[in-house]
Amino acid sequence: MAIDLDRCQGCRACVEACKIENNTPSAVFWMYVFRLEEGTYPDTSISFLPRPCQHCHNPPCVKVCPTGARFHRDDGIVLTDFDRCIGCRYCEVACPYGVNFFNWRKPEQAFADYQLNMDDPDLAAVTGGLIPPYRNPDLDELQGDEQRRTAGSAHYKGVVEKCTFCVQRVEKGLDPACVVTCPVEALVFGDLEDPNSPVSTYLRGRDQFKLLEELGTDPSVIYVGGTPPTPDAREIERPMTGVGNANA
Amino acid sequence: MVEISRRTFIKATAATGTTLAASKVLFETVDSVAQAEALTLAPTEDRVFTTCWIGKQDCGMSARRIDGRVVKFDGVDDHPRNRGTLCPKGQAQIASIYDPHRVKTPLVRTNAKGVPGEWRRASWDEALELVAAKYREVAADDPKLVLWQKGRSKAKSFYDKAFVKAIGATKLGHGAYCSDTGYRAIEYTVGLHGVLHPDLLNAKYVLSWGWNITNAGGNKLCWITWPQQLVEARENNGLKIVHIDPRLRPAGPFADEWVPIRPAGDLALALALCHELIRQGFLDRPYLTTYTNAPYLVGEDGLFLRETVGEGDEAEEVPLVWDEATRRAVPVTEATSPALEGEYTVGGQTAKTAFQLFTEHVADATPEWAADKCDVAPDTIRRIATEYGTNARIGATTVVDGVEVPYRPVGIMAYHMAQQELGFPALRAMAIIPMLVGAWGAVGGQLADFTWKIHKNYAKFEDLKVEEPPYDFILNKSKFFPINTGFPGIVARVMQDPAKYGVEKLPRMAILHMVNPVTSFASQADFLASYEKFEFVAVISPWMSETADLFADVVLPSATIEKYEGPLSAGDGYIDAKAIRLPPMDPLFESRGEIDIYLDLTEKMGKLTGEGGYIEHLNKELKLAGTEFELPDGSRPDVRDIFDRWAKMEGLSGIDFFEQNGVWVKGPISPTKRYGYVTDPPFGGAVHRLYGESLLKAQRLQKEMGADEVYWRDYTPFPTWRTPTMEASPPEYDLYLISYKLVEHKQSRTSMVPLLTELSGHQRVEMNPATARRLGLKEGDEVTVESHHALTGETRRVKTVVRLTEGIRPDVVGMPHHFGMWTHPANKDAGPTPNTLYFTDEGYVGMTADAVFHVKVRVMKGGDAA
Repeated sequence: MAIDLDRCQGCRACVEACKIENNTPSAVFWMYVFRLEEGTYPDTSISFLPRPCQHCHNPPCVKVCPTGARFHRDDGIVLTDFDRCIGCRYCEVACPYGVNFFNWRKPEQAFADYQLNMDDPDLAAVTGGLIPPYRNPDLDELQGDEQRRTAGSAHYKGVVEKCTFCVQRVEKGLDPACVVTCPVEALVFGDLEDPNSPVSTYLRGRDQFKLLEELGTDPSVIYVGGTPPTPDAREIERPMTGVGNANA
Repeated sequence: MVEISRRTFIKATAATGTTLAASKVLFETVDSVAQAEALTLAPTEDRVFTTCWIGKQDCGMSARRIDGRVVKFDGVDDHPRNRGTLCPKGQAQIASIYDPHRVKTPLVRTNAKGVPGEWRRASWDEALELVAAKYREVAADDPKLVLWQKGRSKAKSFYDKAFVKAIGATKLGHGAYCSDTGYRAIEYTVGLHGVLHPDLLNAKYVLSWGWNITNAGGNKLCWITWPQQLVEARENNGLKIVHIDPRLRPAGPFADEWVPIRPAGDLALALALCHELIRQGFLDRPYLTTYTNAPYLVGEDGLFLRETVGEGDEAEEVPLVWDEATRRAVPVTEATSPALEGEYTVGGQTAKTAFQLFTEHVADATPEWAADKCDVAPDTIRRIATEYGTNARIGATTVVDGVEVPYRPVGIMAYHMAQQELGFPALRAMAIIPMLVGAWGAVGGQLADFTWKIHKNYAKFEDLKVEEPPYDFILNKSKFFPINTGFPGIVARVMQDPAKYGVEKLPRMAILHMVNPVTSFASQADFLASYEKFEFVAVISPWMSETADLFADVVLPSATIEKYEGPLSAGDGYIDAKAIRLPPMDPLFESRGEIDIYLDLTEKMGKLTGEGGYIEHLNKELKLAGTEFELPDGSRPDVRDIFDRWAKMEGLSGIDFFEQNGVWVKGPISPTKRYGYVTDPPFGGAVHRLYGESLLKAQRLQKEMGADEVYWRDYTPFPTWRTPTMEASPPEYDLYLISYKLVEHKQSRTSMVPLLTELSGHQRVEMNPATARRLGLKEGDEVTVESHHALTGETRRVKTVVRLTEGIRPDVVGMPHHFGMWTHPANKDAGPTPNTLYFTDEGYVGMTADAVFHVKVRVMKGGDAA
């Protein structure tokens, strides 16, 4: 995935598209956009940094997973097999990008923060009591040659989840939800190993950087435009619940 | 059934997973796993087209449905406004459909008004009859005493206009809060119904004035289209953005230069830019003499010299100009070479051209003079004027689609900043900046609408009516507001003290259509004091608004997106298109679409059919009258059929066109429609008003009728600086409060969407760290914000928390709107609205009866002071 920081306006449409497509509960942001500020008035600058899972070629989360639940597919997508995850949270500790979210609660409890009262009888008459009411059935499908349960599924309590690059969409030949919705087309998705893919074409000849490249994780999310945030960057406009890079 | 076999298959393949999942029973209950399985149904999937119901630009959406249940909205690729994309609000609105906290059934109040409501469920029939019965009673007295008010119109407002006309009510919009001052100023100055936007795709240098550019859409469009064009223009044209705003955030990384202006200093800055453009010689003389009143001769009395041209019925008074060829004053219609500058003796009196007077008017408005008022450095003002003037390329032309058009790639983008005390003169002055360089209607230049359709106010404002009392309760044609936006905040003042305003009859009944004055508008105190005076309040809304909670007698539940609305403009300024909002589901609970509700109401009121009835007005408003597609009078129409007839009248197959295609793309907007220089007639036939002669005439009438100075002082022919009222607050009120929109929100409907309130968080007062240090405050501290009325000494307080940012002036604090609600769990306890702090009476209202979102405040440590 390429992310063009010269285009991103920090609107968080990608965040919301992800939340609807993947049915994530409150305080869980598989895609998150940092809004950052640096400098001192009036020499202030603002920047935006969309941060999905970096889908590393050398993913530390996979190395520490004791059950093989976290794995790196041949096509480059890093996924969690929710039937194998035991919720030890090693991946969460190992990942330097803070993209993992541990499900502390059952989905019905986790969604309670959204006040959608899925068991409301008048609503249940329309939705059958689904959690959430806009529940995406594709998340219950099994993916890949091995038919593993790797899309959001039921957001089980006790597992760790993160961005899947919308594996349920990618398998159907669709781009991830965040990419499709971006009003300014700041996100470009495709096969980085195919020199003719849209993402390779987009990146050609442009200055690039990867997040925390020095750690050797070799992310497959590549940023163009803008500059990497410095240690002086301060986050502004943080959401009410959670901070995007932690489950707090 | 086919579905059953597929379902069995999926269950079988899921079985392996179930075995493994059981091994983590420590965390997961078997119930949840079972539920996941039960949900593995064989779904029927389809897509239906609809239109976003949140923002004003009505983006095209395709709803993905599973067994008829919407699971996601996506953008429509062919829709010019969003080109297959959606913003965070567009995505998240899905939660409103299923919101169990919507008003599900009609409700009738069972307790006293003025306190949170207690309700009983009622049938539609009973609730409608209650509203209709009260209407009949009030209408027997005077139907004008029924106040109908709507929040944002979400489509062509044909069905609600028809309703208001059919029942004879008095209409109030959501206006006077948004950017209406700007609309009035531009209608006055160039005749277009809009504020200011550049021809963005072709612009090179844009003054982004106020908080819209990447955060809040702006003129004509909501959000997605302007950001898309901004990105395109930067990549293709190297567009430079100068962001003029007390906060950096609205332009963020897209600000090539940030000019942190002092609140309410905009008029001074605009006048100084005019001063500099004239001084540096950046003048488009051919445009000024041909298309504006700049060459008109102004006599010693401040009025244009005129001469009668033509005879009998044809006779009209035509302003004179100085014709340099013949060296005499001639009617402008006969001049071949009008002088732009100069002082002349005509008929024994001294006359100067309007432009000469303007030059003298801004002679003292030097950058140094303005710097004192707007706190922008004189050198910066001079440089911006130079850059703007240079980039304007005066004299250049370019060819667009075979048409040669003047090329002035400079523009101003301004919208919500118009709502300030000196907003009308400020926007007039800002409209004069492109006038000086001939950028109005040029390629890359200044626009205010997508075409050059002249608004009826342009002619109306030539002859402003100022009459003796008694006035209606909106104060139309009054000595207070000769130009009157129709300000609910003023109506609330009038209702408290009608004698003061020369008003005899107050509204008795209100029908409030998705409008929530108590929290969405300023001033809250005035709405609380006045709305209890209504004998009866009916609310049409999907949610229990705070206004309904305190004052409604009856609440009629309307649908959110699940209804028909339209027709909707779908063009992006370059491509013309139309769309319809189609219901992606049946209305949830017992809610109904608004058109159905108005059909119901008029039927009960006895106003549906017959002469002057709702159907007749629907036919007129949709222009179906007299065509073969006219709705037959006599029986209640089906809503889908109304749109089907409209679509057929437009030459389409019917509403099925929209059901199948989502959007009707009509094609590119011709340069001869888009650019004022080449429309027929040029600029839609409106002479651009540099000189506001009719403003001066209105002022004289106001004075004659004994209006206080506070009402007439800004009715000046040229925009004229004076110190804003708030500056007279005592020095301890050392901060300016401004408020603004967050990109996650739009009006108050998004405050009911928990996925969006999660992003916007809790209310806060944004403050520069230097200010916080001075006040002994730090990030997260609880504080009291206290506003002060400079004329009455009244103070108002709210409690909130400090958020620090280096992106705000140290003498400014900011609070976003969208807060202060209490009836919905998604926004309850999220902190106060700044609308409790603003004032809406004399000194805190614009000359056009418009709200002002500026006030001086102090911030005190601790929330206990509130």
